[in-house]
Amino acid sequence: MSIEVRGLNKKFGDFVALDDVDVTIPTGQLTALLGPSGGGKSTLLRIIAGLEKGDSGSVNIEGTEATHLPPQKRNVGFVFQHYAVFKHMTVAKNVAFGLEIRKRPKDEIEHRVQELLKLVHLSQFSHRLPSQLSGGQRQRMALARALAVEPTVLLLDEPFGALDAKVRKELRDWLRRLHDDVHVTTVFVTHDQEEAMEVADEIVVINEGRVEQVGTPDQLYDEPANDFVMSFLGEVTHLGGVSLRPHDVEVESSPHHAGSIEGTVSRLVRIGFEVRLTVLTVDGEEVSVVLTRTHARALGLEEGSTVFLTPAAGATVIPRMAVAG
Amino acid sequence: MVSTSTPTKWALRAVAVGYVFFLVAWPVGLLIRRTFEGGLTNLTDALTDSNVVSALALTGKVAVAAVLINLVFGVTISMLLVRYDFPGKRVLSALVDVPLSVSPVVVGLALVLVYNGRDGWLGTGLEDNGISVIFATPGLVMATCFVALPLVIREVVPVLTEIGDEQEQAARSLGANAPQTFWRITLPSIKWAVVYGVVLSLARSVGEFGAVKVVSDNVAGKTQTATLSVEKSYQNFAQGEAYAIAFLLVMVCVASLIVVALLRPKVHD
Amino acid sequence: MSAALTGATIDTAGPASPQGGRTRRTTPRNTLTPGAGVGLGLAMIWFSLLVLLPLSAIVARAASGGWSQYYTVLQNPQTWNAVQLTVTQSLVVTLINVVVGTVIAWVLVRDRFWGQRLLNVIIDVPFALPTVVAGLVLLGLYGPNSPIGVEWAFTPNAVTLALAFVTLPFIVRTVQPVLEELDTDVEQAAASLGASRPTIFRRIILPSLVPAIASGAALSFARAISEYGSLVLLSGNRPNQTEVVSVRVLSFIENGNYSSAAALASVMLFIALLVIVVLDIVQRRVARRG
Repeated sequence: MSIEVRGLNKKFGDFVALDDVDVTIPTGQLTALLGPSGGGKSTLLRIIAGLEKGDSGSVNIEGTEATHLPPQKRNVGFVFQHYAVFKHMTVAKNVAFGLEIRKRPKDEIEHRVQELLKLVHLSQFSHRLPSQLSGGQRQRMALARALAVEPTVLLLDEPFGALDAKVRKELRDWLRRLHDDVHVTTVFVTHDQEEAMEVADEIVVINEGRVEQVGTPDQLYDEPANDFVMSFLGEVTHLGGVSLRPHDVEVESSPHHAGSIEGTVSRLVRIGFEVRLTVLTVDGEEVSVVLTRTHARALGLEEGSTVFLTPAAGATVIPRMAVAG
Repeated sequence: MVSTSTPTKWALRAVAVGYVFFLVAWPVGLLIRRTFEGGLTNLTDALTDSNVVSALALTGKVAVAAVLINLVFGVTISMLLVRYDFPGKRVLSALVDVPLSVSPVVVGLALVLVYNGRDGWLGTGLEDNGISVIFATPGLVMATCFVALPLVIREVVPVLTEIGDEQEQAARSLGANAPQTFWRITLPSIKWAVVYGVVLSLARSVGEFGAVKVVSDNVAGKTQTATLSVEKSYQNFAQGEAYAIAFLLVMVCVASLIVVALLRPKVHD
Repeated sequence: MSAALTGATIDTAGPASPQGGRTRRTTPRNTLTPGAGVGLGLAMIWFSLLVLLPLSAIVARAASGGWSQYYTVLQNPQTWNAVQLTVTQSLVVTLINVVVGTVIAWVLVRDRFWGQRLLNVIIDVPFALPTVVAGLVLLGLYGPNSPIGVEWAFTPNAVTLALAFVTLPFIVRTVQPVLEELDTDVEQAAASLGASRPTIFRRIILPSLVPAIASGAALSFARAISEYGSLVLLSGNRPNQTEVVSVRVLSFIENGNYSSAAALASVMLFIALLVIVVLDIVQRRVARRG
């Protein structure tokens, strides 16, 4: 049981948003759809929710064929980037909305609303209007509203995108803990790799309408399938025909290793405990290197120093492709 | 966006299009057809009638005068309302909207009460000095000014508010004095709003009927404006002439609508 | 064309300077420069001569006769019938506009079809057309020898028709921008919570439109109650049948009976003001909730 998307295509005019996408999202997990803006991840999420229709392909939600179901019949909870609050209703009324639509008994609704508001820490605001809440509070309310109908899956479209950095980080931790409590299958869209790595059990990397790689955060970081995934998840530099992380470049003051590449430090910047070097190799390549301040001092580095570079042992290295993101 | 179902969509479409078609489009189309029923004769007959020509000329004269007055007054009031603070500002800002909700006939009555030469508050004094307002061109201009008064202000105020006064402060800090700042910085940035307000005022001024009817004694060739002559011609069974003048007025309005439609996106740039 | 004539009051909360954002003061300070002061003075003189003094003259003239003056004027059956006809027809037309205007605004914003832009332009025609021409235009289709066999001219229906024509744009043009700005995410959120399309319209969309509909309705009613030009040729001004208040006021003026004209005019101003205030309260109450 899971969300299964098969052969999904979607075009907006000439723009290909999704190109033959196949993906399986496991039940009960917190999955991130990660990729650059305009890469198709939001479109995929909206098609799963039924808010958008694919041109071809199928969507199956927990064993129910959902391709042609309207959003009303899919029993998904959807949380929008800009909260999509019902402005003219109180916080409690917002949360109760889905239950009222389902004509649940009044006392049951009231009980459930109280329970959910407690879960999202908004009990004392139940009679306020959304306009009296902060962004973070509104988003928590939207989450409670989505959870009220006990959705089969919870879908969040850049849920923290409109919040400032501090609130963003708090809500991120809070979502993780909430998921550990509630265990509903959750999919969230983000373009922030740190957010995805920190919160998700599994990450689906999407770029230009295609799935680039699916895996746990560690798998993606350690074994990126291609240059794009590697560069999207962290900084990348190129050394002697391979791509690798700047902190995986070993720096020496004399050529100890066979195949080390000679270069000159053209720029040296110290940021707190780390030192960033730009090294111009004899082959004319510009290599970024990150090392600790202690290490840099031990080597006696300064601008103009001659250094020898090799990929560190155990570094994630992939052959450099023609075009990298 | 949650789309409506197909039958609902078509039903709503039919209501909207049908209503507008029967209420506006078809009747206006008929007017144009009837104007040209005998070829161009209706138009040429009307344009060779000296009374019609002088009515059109009077309308043009009155409209231009009213628009100019409202332009100067409107831009001044807008600048004062947006750029300055003074006691009574809120009241003034509410008062300038009043002419929109006063019946044209009442506008005429109000002017007659103050400016008529027989027992008007100011009219008797003016009359003694040989100035007649009511039943003369100044009254027509005042009535037209009254009804079109808020149009420039309503266009200029939001734009002035939106552009803020940073540019003006920058100009001041570079040594420009108040008039220089106004002519070289403020006016260029509210230019389109002003033009838009002028076009609206012009259309309103050319078309005014009720207020003008009260303050005019409707003498052909003297105080009869174009709209008044439409009524007169129709009631005198000179329907072809009425259609022809109406057609010319419609053309002025269509031209204003086109100008407005072309300007609108620029205002919002 | 629309914004100029239909928008609510102009927002001039303060000068757009950095200080302007400060909290409202009870006594506004005075930032007028000498030049601006002269400008204000001249503008106020003209405004007083043109608007304030003449409107005061109406109030003064109407009040000079006391209550008995109002009583005498309204007691006249012909005048009373005109008042009744005007108020009833204005209410009917405003109701029609509330429904049809909202539908037209909806179709203009949410639908896409051939000729839609033309429809959007035609909506403004009643604003741009001289009122007397509006009457003439309607006579063509609904007058004697009507091509569709609907001869409504010179009947009470003609009043409905003329008022519907001149007030057509008000609600369309107040609702349209609100509908355009409406966050469609909210509707999708309601849909994914299981709400059907009629439910979404009733519980989500309509509450957001109420303030705009109310302010459009106020403008529409105020315009209808004071309409004159479009009725002159179309309604025939038959006493007790198709004669509206403005026509009554005009005949008082033409007979030199300025006091009765002023009394009747002030009654109509009062009714228009009352409706505007009531709808403004509705609008504010709803707006405060959102």
